[in-house]
Amino acid sequence: MKGSEGQSDNIQGGLLSGDLPFLVTAAHELKSPLSLVRQLALSLEASTVDSAERDRMLRQIILTSERALRLTTDLSRSSRLEDSIFDLEPINPQQLCEEVAHELTPLYAARGRQIQVASHHRSMLVVANHDLLRRIMLNFGDNALHYTDSSAPVQLRARVHDKGRRIRLGVRDYGPAVPTDTWQRLQDSLGTNTQVLHSRPQSSGLGLYVAGQFASAMQGEIGATRHRDGVTFFVDIDASTQLSLL
Amino acid sequence: MTKVHSILIVEDDDWLAEQHGRTLRAAGYSVDFAPHALAAMDSVDSRQPDVIVLDLLLAGPNAFTLLHELQSHTDLAGIPVILCTNSADQIASEDIEAYGVRQVLDKATMHPDDVVAAVRKVLL
Repeated sequence: MKGSEGQSDNIQGGLLSGDLPFLVTAAHELKSPLSLVRQLALSLEASTVDSAERDRMLRQIILTSERALRLTTDLSRSSRLEDSIFDLEPINPQQLCEEVAHELTPLYAARGRQIQVASHHRSMLVVANHDLLRRIMLNFGDNALHYTDSSAPVQLRARVHDKGRRIRLGVRDYGPAVPTDTWQRLQDSLGTNTQVLHSRPQSSGLGLYVAGQFASAMQGEIGATRHRDGVTFFVDIDASTQLSLL
Repeated sequence: MTKVHSILIVEDDDWLAEQHGRTLRAAGYSVDFAPHALAAMDSVDSRQPDVIVLDLLLAGPNAFTLLHELQSHTDLAGIPVILCTNSADQIASEDIEAYGVRQVLDKATMHPDDVVAAVRKVLL
């Protein structure tokens, strides 16, 4: 007996639904890294792997745990956003991109991927909270890791946008094309709910939702640009006028 | 001479795929990897596996696209599929048997050797 499209729709409607409650989405996103850590730890406990393989598995456990911890920290931070006052200060976005790339490089290297920052020679400053902006870019970087081809480095870029009024910080990946209908759903809900992006299950919306919350707290907004061979997720933040006063 | 069974692991987390592969190789199986459904289809075309270990949520087309494709070819419909997922608690086995899924493993609770046990079971 062959499965019908109707049956498939029913099953997928439950498992891949785009309308999962926030907590369910959060739980699901944390389940993946925790499951991996558990599998690796059980294997280390039981198996007779050589020391090089053991070191490699330990490294994977550490990096996977760190990624899960980033997510839990983001969640707790986002839940306290309304009660908090964040300092906004002039920040060099190019420098921030370098920091984020540096922080993610061990994780990328361990997965055989590369991350780099596109050079930009014009001086720029944004008005932002350093920690929130860093977390947005880390989220985009974590997300891109899962969908980029090993031959093409993920690229972080800061550039002047909206005639100099805003700065756009983006993370470009080289992953599978996002189908048009899925893309439309993403555009409709980006940063406003935790919708699952079906063709990018690891982008199940939670990281993007949190990024959207962080951006709003700084009067910024997130967005995405679809490419033939991947996606750029970006955040637009007000440019500082400080440089123009010099 | 004993035949070495080939297992195709379709999993977009390369570390988890590696983990399953290590366990299956140690048990004497030949292992191939595909990070997404499209690569899995190519792999099935070029080297028909004896068993497919399949993650549900994949980058690009999801697992059901692959299952539909397999079921639409008479020579591929019989390949046993083991679904290995974090969403096992949301799956009713009667819903997926029609897709050639013979076993479901819960990533959150399984032991590493469970993938070997599942492969042995579906190959019986």
